[in-house]
Amino acid sequence: MAASSTINNFFSFFLPTKPPPPSPPQFNPTTTTTTPMNPSSQTHKPSSQPLIAQYNPPPPSPSSCSSSSELSSVICPSMAYSNTLFFQSPYNVQVVVAEDETEEKLLGRFRREVTKAGVVQECRRRRYFENKHEEKKRKSREAARRNRKRLPMSKTVGQKKQDVPATKREDDEDNWDLPEGDTLY
Amino acid sequence: MAKPISKKGSRKNVRIGSRKHTRKIPKGVIHVQASFNNTIVTVTDVRGRVISWSSAGTCGFKGTRRGTPFAAQTAAGNAIRTVSDQGMQRAEVMIKGPGLGRDAALRAIRRSGILLNFIRDVTPMPHNGCRSPKKRRV
Repeated sequence: MAASSTINNFFSFFLPTKPPPPSPPQFNPTTTTTTPMNPSSQTHKPSSQPLIAQYNPPPPSPSSCSSSSELSSVICPSMAYSNTLFFQSPYNVQVVVAEDETEEKLLGRFRREVTKAGVVQECRRRRYFENKHEEKKRKSREAARRNRKRLPMSKTVGQKKQDVPATKREDDEDNWDLPEGDTLY
Repeated sequence: MAKPISKKGSRKNVRIGSRKHTRKIPKGVIHVQASFNNTIVTVTDVRGRVISWSSAGTCGFKGTRRGTPFAAQTAAGNAIRTVSDQGMQRAEVMIKGPGLGRDAALRAIRRSGILLNFIRDVTPMPHNGCRSPKKRRV
């Protein structure tokens, strides 16, 4: 029963895809242009549907492709989803370019996104094999760098706070000392 | 993952379009592969067929100079000049690899005048695949 329902769902998927092929080829480029815009709205992690939608336009003969996939789904149900992507997105970073965006701004944005994703660091790490000892060293080094970024801020803030009240205290002491001396003499 | 593009008609390599007129492709994809030692720039059409390509080596750089940003800029310029002459106006950019040529090539592409839809980083990341080679002793 479940298998038949999945097959029916699969056929229902295929039914709407049939009408687009007979439509004029002019619509195809518009669909290709529209589909990449969808993942942009979802920044980094687009859902699986737009990826499948992206994949549909490229085949040159849609009728033969659809018929072959239908046959494969009927002959071997386990192969029905063999083309499904199993990871979140086919890219690490995507930056959509605005029409009137300056070069520096675009480059900065892209570089920032890549740094956030950690692509270059991961590549450097995977260049050579590292054993547990080296991994531990790398992690401690990264932690030291991370802490070094935080410490100077706290130090400067602490120093500033300490300096100001000290001067105030000195002034107060000076004020108190003088009248006592006068009254005594 | 991608399906191969099926050839129509005979099995022979049929020439795309006619011989007399060069093909005009308004949209395409620019692939930049930037490794530590070289930078390769390939321009394809939307279906993935190569239109033109260039690399730091083909531009005359040798040795360690192939990995420099200037070499990447030169390679990108050479690859895109051919394509812009043919009439390409809009493109997508796919960048792969950790080399120094990433930013330089992207800058050159931006300055070439080709309008960009979006820029993607498609560096392959293994999900804990096979073991990497041992560290080199220098």
